[in-house]
Amino acid sequence: MACSAFSEKAPNQQCMKVGMSVANRKKIGWYLIFTVPLLLIFTLIVLVPFVIGIYYAFFQWDGIGANPMVFNGLDNFVRLMEDERFLRSTWLTVLFTVLSVITVNAAGLAFALLVTSKLKLANLARTMLFMPYLIGGLILGYIWQFVFLDVFTLIGEVTGFESIFFNWLNNEDFALFALVFVFTWQMAGYVMIVYIAGIQGIPGEVIEAARIDGASGWQRFLRITVPLLMPAFTISLFLTLSYGFKIYDVNLSLTGGGPANATELFAMNIYNEIFGYGNYGYGQAKAIVFFVIIAAITLTQVYITKKKEVEM
Amino acid sequence: MAFNKKFVTGMTFAATISLLAACGGGGGDEGGSEGGSEGGSGEQSTGISIFQSKVEISEQLEAAAEAYTEETGVPVEVIGTTGDDYAQQLQIRLNNGTGPSIFSVQNTEVAERLESYLYDLNDAEFVSNIAPDMELMLDDRLVGVPYGVEGFGIVYNTEMVDPADIQDYDSFVSTLEDFNAEGINGFGLSSEAYFLIGHISNYPFSMQEDPVEFMEQLTNGEVTLTEVEEFQRFGEFMEAIRANTPTPLNTTYDTQVGDFAAGQTAMIHQGNWAAGMLEDFEVDFEYAMAPFPLEGNDKLAVGVGSNWAVNADKDQAEIDAAIEFLDWLHNSETGQRFVVEEFGFIPAMTNIEAGDLDPLSQAVLEASNSGETIPWAHNYYPANVVPNDFTPVAESFFVNEDMTGEELVENLQAAWENAAQ
Repeated sequence: MACSAFSEKAPNQQCMKVGMSVANRKKIGWYLIFTVPLLLIFTLIVLVPFVIGIYYAFFQWDGIGANPMVFNGLDNFVRLMEDERFLRSTWLTVLFTVLSVITVNAAGLAFALLVTSKLKLANLARTMLFMPYLIGGLILGYIWQFVFLDVFTLIGEVTGFESIFFNWLNNEDFALFALVFVFTWQMAGYVMIVYIAGIQGIPGEVIEAARIDGASGWQRFLRITVPLLMPAFTISLFLTLSYGFKIYDVNLSLTGGGPANATELFAMNIYNEIFGYGNYGYGQAKAIVFFVIIAAITLTQVYITKKKEVEM
Repeated sequence: MAFNKKFVTGMTFAATISLLAACGGGGGDEGGSEGGSEGGSGEQSTGISIFQSKVEISEQLEAAAEAYTEETGVPVEVIGTTGDDYAQQLQIRLNNGTGPSIFSVQNTEVAERLESYLYDLNDAEFVSNIAPDMELMLDDRLVGVPYGVEGFGIVYNTEMVDPADIQDYDSFVSTLEDFNAEGINGFGLSSEAYFLIGHISNYPFSMQEDPVEFMEQLTNGEVTLTEVEEFQRFGEFMEAIRANTPTPLNTTYDTQVGDFAAGQTAMIHQGNWAAGMLEDFEVDFEYAMAPFPLEGNDKLAVGVGSNWAVNADKDQAEIDAAIEFLDWLHNSETGQRFVVEEFGFIPAMTNIEAGDLDPLSQAVLEASNSGETIPWAHNYYPANVVPNDFTPVAESFFVNEDMTGEELVENLQAAWENAAQ
């Protein structure tokens, strides 16, 4: 039974099926062409090292290929429960992430509202606000190091507010806020773009209808814009949460973890453990725990905000 | 349509292949250097790569590499370094197969960790010229050729400081106070691990009768630093420095030396390596090096800064090429000129004459020749203790005005225990 194109006129089930599967097969071919290269790269660069990393986490090893690896079961994981420096780093990372998720999203949303309003310089402002994101984190850190060192001290001297404007980086309590500040400056423009897309997706009629019904600007924002922006919130919160937890570049160039390890966040702690102290296995164990924590928190967040998303 | 599809498929396929090829290229670097043996046995000479820890000689080494390539045709790649994270970068390179053919090994602690990568240089000809006891040995294997002799102490501006005024604690502190009153930085440290605490922490260790034995006792918990007089005095010195100078945490090596060259700092704690930069600045005053007066110490701290090592993990052709380069560096006229004049090293080789030395190196050479020196204790510290453990302690000492010198020493002890476990 030939399933030529002509048999469409007299279709029978067999032919339909084969026809469909040919179409599907063609589609799958396309899918493969586009996904296989990426899948390969992803496997090689992310999955394989990840799995190998889990394996290493059960060994005591200094990370030098020629030196012996000693299997020590779950010792690494037990040890990190008592590692004060790691626990402190955990707390700092959580604090940093919570603070920056709030500031980044607040600033990003504010910027988005600003540049979607009927501001004359909206387009210019949009570009300017997005620009910090285009500067690499390392360079950004060095620039801000200079700002905190010279500009902040200068402002403090000139205005007399020396209790606020001093070199934050040399203060164990303020250094973390400096990090939050710079991270916000970098990321706010990025989430702003996400929020702009969300705001522009909100139909004008709805807002207009609300206005006619007598809703104030604040009410319109809270009752219409925010609920309809939920998908944007989901994405932005997810991005800032995971970026915040994983931050390393700004951390390295701005404070280097100092002063006195007061800003040594997760990623840096792991790096120092592996390369500074030469505890490769133990550092991997930390990295696994780090992964589990981030995955748990971000997935919970996505689950919660997804539930809040509303359909028009 | 059919054409289009084929076209697109082909393009995608090509793109994929080129991507894969690009990935293969990355691994090929390693293959290239490893496969160098085939190249080496042919007419093509094997290239070598150098990754070393001394930032101060980066440019000069590149020039030396160029000169070597010109003379011999052997390509030499000098991999840039950033300083404090050298050990990490080296480990990454050694592990992923892009390891250099020549690298630096700072001391025995590091050598033990990297043992399997260290080629035994006993059979190389030029090592017979190494000054007595200057080579880096691992059991009976000669694994490191000394860069040169180096020394550090107080580098001072002779127009501003009279060495007689910095000979003991009291005069040192009153000198600092005077400068502080004038708005001049009396004594500059800088924020990098070794310049902040690594070098200066040497003195109380080096002044022990047998520093190495003392450090072993410390590791075994047999001594408490706060009970040792030198450490008590060290704490007092650090307090005085903190009280009378701007915080070193805002300063980098460049600004530290730059401020000294500009006359804004009267003294800095540095070594003879800083002379190169001072010459670049063309300073118009005389400078000299004085001992750090801890407990009346009148000797400079002199030691071997680092050692050249050859990567045993490479194939024989590349190893031979690397040894040849080191031979050239220490035996040929051009090579020796680079070591002495360009790198500014005080040679630790008997066949290299110290050239026209800058004032700092001259001071170190004289001290070294007369034997009036204290050893570099930090070469025997637990691996990486300075950047990992000492630096956070020093940072917190400099940001917390209420931390006493005694607490600093206590924390240094805790840091030592953490690193030595």
